[in-house]
Amino acid sequence: MKDNYDINNYTYDMDRCIGCKGCVWVDHVYMPGVRYGVKCPSNAYKLFDGYAPMGREKIGKALLEGRIDYTPEYLDVMYMCQLCGACDAGCKRNLDLEPLSVLESLRVKAVKDGKGPMPAHKKVAQNIAEKGNRYGAAEKRSGWITKDTKISDKADMVYFPGCSASYVEKGIAQATGKILNKAGINFMTLGDKDTCCGHPVATSGMLDEAKAIARKNIDILKATGATTLVTSCAECYNTWKVIYPKMLSKNFADMGYQVIHLVEVVSKLVNEGKFTFSKPMNIRAAYHDPCRMARQGEPWVEWEGTRGQWGILTPKKEYRRGTFGVYQQPRDILNKIQGLDLVEMPRMKENAFCCGAGGGVMDAYPDFAMWAATERLTEVQSVAAEAVISACPYCKKVFNEASKANNMNIKAYDITEIILACM
Amino acid sequence: MGIPQEAYKAMEDIVGSQYITDDQVIAQAYVGRLGHGKDTGIDLEMNVPPAVIVLPRTTKEVQGILKIAHRYKINYVPASSFWISHCAPKRPNSIVLDLKRMNDLEIDEENMCAICGPGVIFSQLQEEAIKRGMYTTTPGGGSQVSVVANHINWGLSPLNYRNGVPGRRVLGGEWVLPDGELLRIGSMSTSDDPFWGEGPGPDLRGLLRGWIGWFGAMGVVTKLAVKLLPFHDEGLKPVGISPHTTLQFPEKKRIRWYNFVMPTRESLVECMYDIGKAEIAAALTKVPQQWRYIAKAGCREDFWEGWNTNEARKSINNIHICRVMLVGYASEEQLEYEERVLMDIMDSYGAKLGRTRQSDNSWIKNADSATMWMMTGAYTSVQVTVDTVDCGVKGGEGLAREKPAFTPPLMDDYGEPGWFQVSEIGHMGYIEFLQYWDPNPNQENLYKKDEWNYIKVPTLDAEWGMFNAFNMYASPMNLTGKAYGPECRKWFEKVKAEFDPDKISNDPIPWDVDEYVDKVDWVNKEDYINRDWSKG
Repeated sequence: MKDNYDINNYTYDMDRCIGCKGCVWVDHVYMPGVRYGVKCPSNAYKLFDGYAPMGREKIGKALLEGRIDYTPEYLDVMYMCQLCGACDAGCKRNLDLEPLSVLESLRVKAVKDGKGPMPAHKKVAQNIAEKGNRYGAAEKRSGWITKDTKISDKADMVYFPGCSASYVEKGIAQATGKILNKAGINFMTLGDKDTCCGHPVATSGMLDEAKAIARKNIDILKATGATTLVTSCAECYNTWKVIYPKMLSKNFADMGYQVIHLVEVVSKLVNEGKFTFSKPMNIRAAYHDPCRMARQGEPWVEWEGTRGQWGILTPKKEYRRGTFGVYQQPRDILNKIQGLDLVEMPRMKENAFCCGAGGGVMDAYPDFAMWAATERLTEVQSVAAEAVISACPYCKKVFNEASKANNMNIKAYDITEIILACM
Repeated sequence: MGIPQEAYKAMEDIVGSQYITDDQVIAQAYVGRLGHGKDTGIDLEMNVPPAVIVLPRTTKEVQGILKIAHRYKINYVPASSFWISHCAPKRPNSIVLDLKRMNDLEIDEENMCAICGPGVIFSQLQEEAIKRGMYTTTPGGGSQVSVVANHINWGLSPLNYRNGVPGRRVLGGEWVLPDGELLRIGSMSTSDDPFWGEGPGPDLRGLLRGWIGWFGAMGVVTKLAVKLLPFHDEGLKPVGISPHTTLQFPEKKRIRWYNFVMPTRESLVECMYDIGKAEIAAALTKVPQQWRYIAKAGCREDFWEGWNTNEARKSINNIHICRVMLVGYASEEQLEYEERVLMDIMDSYGAKLGRTRQSDNSWIKNADSATMWMMTGAYTSVQVTVDTVDCGVKGGEGLAREKPAFTPPLMDDYGEPGWFQVSEIGHMGYIEFLQYWDPNPNQENLYKKDEWNYIKVPTLDAEWGMFNAFNMYASPMNLTGKAYGPECRKWFEKVKAEFDPDKISNDPIPWDVDEYVDKVDWVNKEDYINRDWSKG
């Protein structure tokens, strides 16, 4: 069985990078100008090419070939990255390479070699192992549930709120429950078996631990009999839809469950006229595409085969190029809300600039995460929006923190809160 | 550390500690293996990591760094977008000046020019230009290349049909000489406004750019004004999700593509002259067959499924596509007039108008040169003939006859004679002879691709009397210099010695190719390098 996280499976991808910086620049068709022309947060923050995906691939190759060894700078290069996947969609516009898998696998190698992850990641992993949540909180995970939220004992749909909405951004989980109730959709939770999806562990390169969490969660879901898992968190969405099958070397289609984000549920109902908004919201807002649901939102497609002359793959590989991520659904919802003036930022959809929180950056490099969030908020300001709406609790949190720290007077919302307020 | 501590400290004082590093992990990101020339001999065997990478922000900072380099005799290599393997350090203990922070861009609408720092790339400039009803000519090198670097390095674009090569559209600017002295050229020699190219006294732009530029061997251009050209004022709307992103043409008839299937290659060449004589069209090119198959392919395997067919093999001699762009710069009526003229010309050749999408994803704002690497993982153009187009095509056909001896390791393109187009409304023909190969080092006789690139093609050019622009930077000067005469290598060296006697800045290109060819054992030096070309 192929190990999708073994860096030796990606030496071709590293060597065949041609340095066009499609990983760094906004798609040239959409290039907005000098300002906001770069979509890679780490290369916008640390300007040396070593902090661009193309540079990381060369550095990783140098490590594999023994030309360099692990150093603190090497670990910074590999971990000072949100794994936001902007590089992946950009590279795959023209080439059949896998830069995001390279970056993920270099972290896995660092862990296997006893050099990674960063200390902050180890602490998060310890919290998850001991308390089932990334914060190490001792409270029950079900604390978000209000008395007026109707949760079935048995349903075909499981709501998986994730750590953030369970402990920090409880309003998102509460809004999700009420929206599903209003839509007349029966849902259940995993109850006292609900736990972290393992996203922080997987992205930090702790593959064995992440696989164990994946197997456990999949078994728990199977035991409920439910076939659909709904999330309100882009990271959880991505973990169940991409990371689990990738770690287990299976097609997502063969996992035996479906994963949907709440915006997919609501947009379908809105477009069918079955879900309407009765209250206006007078606000000018920009929608921020969360990386792991948008350009990384396509289901994992397993491939195993050989590479022959001219680099031809047998059998043919189906590449995830970011084309079919969740882009339009949240926009369809927000455009239906009276008074909400939805505007696009210069970097949008597959070219969106990450909020800064992902890939373990918020844990290990909080200054960088705050810088990236602030940079994104300047983009919100550039289109004269007063608010930014996302579909991931981590985006909301880091945006609000950055806005407050910089007196930017921009309010960040999760889309579930907007839907709830207007229904 | 590869350079003296005090030199590093002095540069750190200039740019700040955040923008300089001697970390050898970061240095690995600057070891060549990029862009045009990737996986050729010089790229694989001559690149070395730099000792220091420094990111200056201003002209003054560049001056300071170059003066320090001179004081301590440290070689340096400047580069903006690193899209050519010659811009990678090839000497130990070099400084790399990564110019990406120098990305100031100012549009002078009144004088129709853009004042650019070397960190500005073409798609950024094009966005700002089109917003204002103007345009620049995004080069075949790609949208991701530096406007400044590409303009002083010739900068050919499919859009040059109407307006000539960008090297001739260079205006005033700031040029830091190899020793750190600042030279202001054009109108900047007497004012701070670079709107005009000429200045008092000799016009130094020719010395700066030559035919193909110096690749950092003559210091660093830190600011340059380049001409912008009038465009229609309807804008172009970006649509689609990657990889299917494109610029949608406006509903008003201000810009249109036309794809014609010509009966023969000769008629394709002749119609280019006629279209030029009629002084119509915005761009005009022949589409190589493999590009058609790339355009249809969703991935590399799709391409090869299409390419490995008799249909593809036969298409080289049977299908001749002429792609024409018309722009109604002033009005819809202009385009309608040009369309009528175009149809008359094409009717006279028996051309058939085919279907084509009315959008652009590869010429105007996005030039996806990276796609050239999609088929096999390695690509280079060995031949850029600049001559009349019929002469260029004959050269391309000649090279196509010779290429089978080097195939494999080169990809079999079934005798495709290359991509050709005309510039300057037909006055200048342009042909680019393309090669693709599998760079896997386990491939047999892989050295033959270098023999073809560095020796065979320039030798054939010299024998046939063809001028190949790429010879000026991708072929050994010991061969081409003698063949073309007068000995331009000596001329290069004299100029270089005048400005940079200690040879601190980058070597003139293609000295790296000469060095590489000199050390490898597969070159028949008697027949090629040491040949007395005066005897024919």
